[in-house]
Amino acid sequence: MNWNWFYRMGSPRWFYESTSRWLPWLAALTFVLLAGGLVWGLAFAPQDAKQGNSFRIIYLHVPASFLALAGYFLMATAGAIGLIWKMKLSYMVMKCAAPLGAVLTFLALFTGAVWGKPTWGSYWVWDARVTSMLILLFLYLGVLALQYAFDSKDVGNKASAILALVGTVNIPIIYKSVDWWFTLHQPATIRFTEAPSMHPDMFQPLLVMILGFYCFYAVALILSVRVEILARERKTSWVRERVKQATQNTLGAGL
Amino acid sequence: MISNTGFWAFLRRDLLLINRRRGEVASPLIFFIMAATFVPLATTPDAELLKDIAPGIIWVMALLATLLSAESLFASDYQDGSLEQLLISPQLIVMPVLGKVTAHWLTTGLPLTLVSPLLGLLLSLPTDGYLPMMAGLAVGTGCLSLLAALGAALTVSLPKGGLLLTLIVMPLYMPVIIFGSATAQYSIQGLAWTGPLAILGAMLALAIALCPLAISSVLRLTTIN
Amino acid sequence: MNFQFDNVSHMLNMDGHGAYVWTAVVVTVLLMTWLIINPLLQGRNVFKEIAREVSREQLRQDAVKEGT
Repeated sequence: MNWNWFYRMGSPRWFYESTSRWLPWLAALTFVLLAGGLVWGLAFAPQDAKQGNSFRIIYLHVPASFLALAGYFLMATAGAIGLIWKMKLSYMVMKCAAPLGAVLTFLALFTGAVWGKPTWGSYWVWDARVTSMLILLFLYLGVLALQYAFDSKDVGNKASAILALVGTVNIPIIYKSVDWWFTLHQPATIRFTEAPSMHPDMFQPLLVMILGFYCFYAVALILSVRVEILARERKTSWVRERVKQATQNTLGAGL
Repeated sequence: MISNTGFWAFLRRDLLLINRRRGEVASPLIFFIMAATFVPLATTPDAELLKDIAPGIIWVMALLATLLSAESLFASDYQDGSLEQLLISPQLIVMPVLGKVTAHWLTTGLPLTLVSPLLGLLLSLPTDGYLPMMAGLAVGTGCLSLLAALGAALTVSLPKGGLLLTLIVMPLYMPVIIFGSATAQYSIQGLAWTGPLAILGAMLALAIALCPLAISSVLRLTTIN
Repeated sequence: MNFQFDNVSHMLNMDGHGAYVWTAVVVTVLLMTWLIINPLLQGRNVFKEIAREVSREQLRQDAVKEGT
């Protein structure tokens, strides 16, 4: 088996140059998916029989929750790859995934709270999924705090990678425990589950939004990884070459 | 080969060291009792209300007390260089770590468990709850010590690591707190409390298997650099 | 697939749920925009910094050449 592609992928330069080519396309696709899905969900999907129009928040809440959780696993995987193969690039990915995931988790919690007010009658309910989301936010904040606590970037990266991995082992346990805790204390009135089968007219825009959020995540992550690459590789000749070219181009345009 | 002589050697050594500064052992214990005393003062002396929240309060206080004492777990070894010396050998220092954590548990978790009936008395915990609460605390504080040690290893080289330690460890404590206080609550409600206790035991087994490995690699990372 | 509302004000109101839905939408859009804008701005700053370093080095090299 030829592993060259794997090591090439670990090269920041390769990453920077290849993403330069297709990032604009991905960004355009993201915009189309998000704008289309949002208009579809907000204006054209039929309203829910029980919840009325407040259910439309699902088109933001569910994709954000998906990405919040998936982002944690991505962050931990990147950290693990960094620890095992000592790849600079994967630490950069991990570092950039932490604030991104934290913001998405916050967003999932916020939209959930706003949705909860008309549905449950209060902004905050100790529902199993809501509680797990809150703990996920704490896990993200812990990784972020640890990352910036060390003077040496290298040690900070490795330490937070290990913490992210420990968190990954814990997440299933946390989810199961919180679920169990919730069934123990569950007040009968607030149990709320989505209808087991969503109507296709409601489900299709949700699918578009989930896809759009995945693409958005990729775009936002790649953008911040590129900044990280530029900052870390500022002394290398390929970065200098690129910067020279870019400044010459803008000078030429100015003249 | 990982020899288990390291375990007893380090357990003995740490217990001797702790014996020399007994004040440090007493402080989390006193904190545990004091903080729990504040709860009725801050809420209500009504026994009916207190008994419902008593297991939860005792568990949260136990959590805080463990975290308070965790910072010093590796601190002195880090400062006097003996930790670095230990890490020079290429093998994982699983057994010495486990010995140190056991010493930590013997001097925080176990005393907390032993004084918890006093807190149960203050918070009017029904008598049925005492044994399950103590059993839960004995097993659960083991998990707490292991996880706290992981946090202590991650923050050992930081000048003000104490608060950061609490931040990164607390979310990991969530399952232990849930099943720990459930053990006592189940018995108060007349349900079979061995179920949650068994889950706590499973968590402890998992933590004993995984935490020392993680801690020894973390220590290598944070001390050698 | 039909437009679900009679007119724009109906859509804004959403039968009384408008405030909730639109708050969620506005906050989400703002935060997501920030997640995109922030790295772009940072990237521009880093780019400028490197450009300044490069031109400073260029000047120094030119000065050395003229001196010889």
